[in-house]
Amino acid sequence: MARSTSQFFDEVLGERAGVKKELANVHDLAWDVVDKALLSLCKLRIAMILGCDEEVESARQYLDLSKADAIAQWSSSNFFTDREKSCLRFTEEFIIDVSSIPDASAVAVKDHLGEEGFVTFVNALLVVEQRIRLLLVWSKLVGSTGT
Amino acid sequence: MRTQRVESSSFNALFREALSRWQEEVVQLDLVDPVTTEMVRLRCAEHHDCHT
Repeated sequence: MARSTSQFFDEVLGERAGVKKELANVHDLAWDVVDKALLSLCKLRIAMILGCDEEVESARQYLDLSKADAIAQWSSSNFFTDREKSCLRFTEEFIIDVSSIPDASAVAVKDHLGEEGFVTFVNALLVVEQRIRLLLVWSKLVGSTGT
Repeated sequence: MRTQRVESSSFNALFREALSRWQEEVVQLDLVDPVTTEMVRLRCAEHHDCHT
């Protein structure tokens, strides 16, 4: 039977109850404090770039499929709003080279989300990205989620 | 150091506290030796331009 990512993490972390609990908690909160549709779009793009098939499927189920299918061409697509495009641009730069994100990309997200919204978004992005990277590494080490 | 992009780094208090608790739990893990852990931490902090 296929395991969810959460079940997989529970098994890998085993008796490390503190880390297990706080990772689950911070991940849940990330989805509470950022617009779920927006974060799902960004999660989908992260999972695609990092090559995490499980999380690609997980993100797609919460998105309009025509939008999900067009995400690789977001910059030229009419499916995406300026707000979504600014967040997707920032997300790609964050994933590929976090130390080289241009000021213009950060300003564009801040203009759409506000200053506190921007800081919240970046931290939520960090949680989602790190969780996917952990999934990829641990899947290699101990076997896939089977999803 | 890069351009400062926000006046304040404050954000949702519950989320901020949850991030701190998660990081505290991670640094308490002891399967990696302290020197390696610190080298990785410093490298990550430099890459992220993090001064905490």
